[in-house]
Amino acid sequence: MAGEPAKRQKREAYRQSLTTEEQNIALPKKKFYRQRAHANPFSDHALTYPRGPADMDWASLYPAHAVEKTGEGAGDDESHDRDRDDGEKEKGKTITKPVEIADIGCGFGGLLFALAPKLPETLIVGMEIRTSVTEYVQEKVRALRAQNAAPNTAYQNVACIRANTMKFLPNFFAKAQLAKIFLCFPDPHFKQRKHKARIVSYTLNSEYAFVLRPGGVVYTITDVEDLHVWMRGHFEKHPSFERVSEEDEAADECVEVMRMETEEGKKVERNGGRKFVACFRRVEDPRWP
Amino acid sequence: MKLPYQCIEVADRSIDSGNEWLLFGASGSKLIVQSSTGVQSVWPAEEDEVRHINRDDEPEEPPGKRVKLSPAANPELNVSCVTLSSDKQYLVAVTAEDKCIRVFQINSEYQLHELSQRCMARRPCSIILTPDDSTILCADKFGDVYSLPLLPSPDDEEIETPQNEQTEPVVEKPYAPAASLLTVHSGRNRKTLEEQLKQASKGPSKPKEPLKFKHELLLGHVSMLTDILYATVDDRSYVLTADRDEHIRISRGLPQAHIIEGFCLGHEDFVSRLCLSQSGLLVSGGGDASLLVWDWFNNQLIERLPIRDSALSYFESNPQLTSILPEDRKNFKVAVRGIWDLASGETTKYEILVACEGIPALFQFTLGDRSKPGAVISLNGNALDVAFLGSSENTRKMIVVSVDNVHKPGSTTAVRDSPHRLQCFSRQGNGEWEENSGVAQSLDWFSRQAPDGNDNAYAESNSIASDTKDLAAVRAILYGLENLRKRPGAED
Repeated sequence: MAGEPAKRQKREAYRQSLTTEEQNIALPKKKFYRQRAHANPFSDHALTYPRGPADMDWASLYPAHAVEKTGEGAGDDESHDRDRDDGEKEKGKTITKPVEIADIGCGFGGLLFALAPKLPETLIVGMEIRTSVTEYVQEKVRALRAQNAAPNTAYQNVACIRANTMKFLPNFFAKAQLAKIFLCFPDPHFKQRKHKARIVSYTLNSEYAFVLRPGGVVYTITDVEDLHVWMRGHFEKHPSFERVSEEDEAADECVEVMRMETEEGKKVERNGGRKFVACFRRVEDPRWP
Repeated sequence: MKLPYQCIEVADRSIDSGNEWLLFGASGSKLIVQSSTGVQSVWPAEEDEVRHINRDDEPEEPPGKRVKLSPAANPELNVSCVTLSSDKQYLVAVTAEDKCIRVFQINSEYQLHELSQRCMARRPCSIILTPDDSTILCADKFGDVYSLPLLPSPDDEEIETPQNEQTEPVVEKPYAPAASLLTVHSGRNRKTLEEQLKQASKGPSKPKEPLKFKHELLLGHVSMLTDILYATVDDRSYVLTADRDEHIRISRGLPQAHIIEGFCLGHEDFVSRLCLSQSGLLVSGGGDASLLVWDWFNNQLIERLPIRDSALSYFESNPQLTSILPEDRKNFKVAVRGIWDLASGETTKYEILVACEGIPALFQFTLGDRSKPGAVISLNGNALDVAFLGSSENTRKMIVVSVDNVHKPGSTTAVRDSPHRLQCFSRQGNGEWEENSGVAQSLDWFSRQAPDGNDNAYAESNSIASDTKDLAAVRAILYGLENLRKRPGAED
């Protein structure tokens, strides 16, 4: 592509300016972070991910909620000590409460930044597979935190990480850790032979059920009716989920945020497109047969 | 040159005169059977492979023309996994190239009688049977696990696509793309949409034929599956699955396999093999330097067994192998090909045997005891598979090892030609393994003579170097594990 070098130069120059100017509290400019809208979830990206939830460094993502590890009793979940057999020293910081909301495929983070002030006591993480887009959200988090410096704690409860959740969701979250999962305007993968790459499938729903606590909710929204039917079908088929009733859906403020505040939601609104919402509640596991 | 046995299995049977065993081996496209009483059989049998036919409708054809019958006679189809039912009446084999699950009945003459062929949509990587022998669980390359009845009932054949099938029903209506100009936001996508509409005007493309037999999707990873186990603890059953992306997943058994109970996370490279020890612990191995031992029930890592170190010191202590080692010892890697529980019969000492890809030895470890390095069984060729003879008395004291007779020991590329495809060992009172020439003698036909499915291809050219293309094919059958390793610098 002819425009490629100029684009890269501009981006590099822009990023340089970010690091050189101290106390930079300006919001990042989206135009320097645009990236192709699709990523192949099956390929081995150069990803970093924790071995397991116990190894995840959440403290550096939520510094305002981090405390020094104090030996025993510091880790509050029971999987605390696992994988640490070789006398690996517990070190650094830990967070005071677990992340409870995940926005999978958070894109430029519209939902994150809208939810953060509404749920100030809850830790929210955005997960995005595209590098530049993740960087944008991370820059925006940094800038917003700087603008709202201490003692103000706005946006201290939101963070973004690069991840391929289709492969590595259980590396980040322990069983029943999450209360809400958002799947907003996922890649529709129109072609039939690409359907396996969709973020919702019967088999992946088992993983969502694993990290969600009973009563937790998966929120889905899309402007593609076909995908809506697909997601509905795969969740309704899965015995660990039940559809949230329309009344409950209407009463949930998160649904309104998801409809109006996500980047794609706004775009669809501008273009006069339709939005299809469906939410699914994680039910208790049945008794063993 | 005979092709080595990529898999071997043993069935122990009680008969009036005591115990006997049947040894099964998969060599290329052939399945070989030999019993302890000396009975031999080969599938596909010669008379099965070709038959004389007289077709009345084509009188011009010379009578008695030899026609190939089943696709299994095709030497292009190689058996990739073999498993036996617990009642030892059935053998299930997978042929890799046509992704086909084949069920055989073992008849009283120790011949394999093929009952069914079921070709899956994706290549099966590992298959097991549930303990009641009713159901095959098939773990595939695309990460899904399907259940199939071992013996399809006639009613099942009628069932088209079960509900769980992910393919959309074929509808006879004009194609309309799911996207519209409203949902497409970029120029490139808009072009794609135009393409789709153009394509649609040419008429619908031929849909993929749905599988015409009963099969149910149980669970799935977004990664290639490498091994699957079925475990029962306190009347509760579990499915354990391992994948290329370092995961070991614990799901509930049938019929609740959609519920994930936990993960055993700790591997840093692919997981290729799972083994349940009699102790109740799970041993997993793959591309890592260690085998991991798990209290899988609680997702707890118990210990690491240094398989790479064991293999490295074996190479270093063996002058012929030392030269193969990489200059920088750090580049020496192992890929675990097999883990077997030794079931010593003692309740205080749990031992396993481990084979690694392209290494001419078996390594023994004792769980929970790292005080001294375990025994090493040195082999004449790279270890391919292990089976236990006469293990009916709950002790595993006699092993048959399938060794690679076409590659040099320690190498997966350098060729040689050795006639022996099996080695037999028995365990002495002091715990040492010694080669058992008596059993080896009785398995001489199996080891040296039995056909290998590539008879035709190699009939004329007995020299191995003559056919590099075939050698590449042989290598692909025997050594695929290193391909599971992720390459650094993968695209972003």
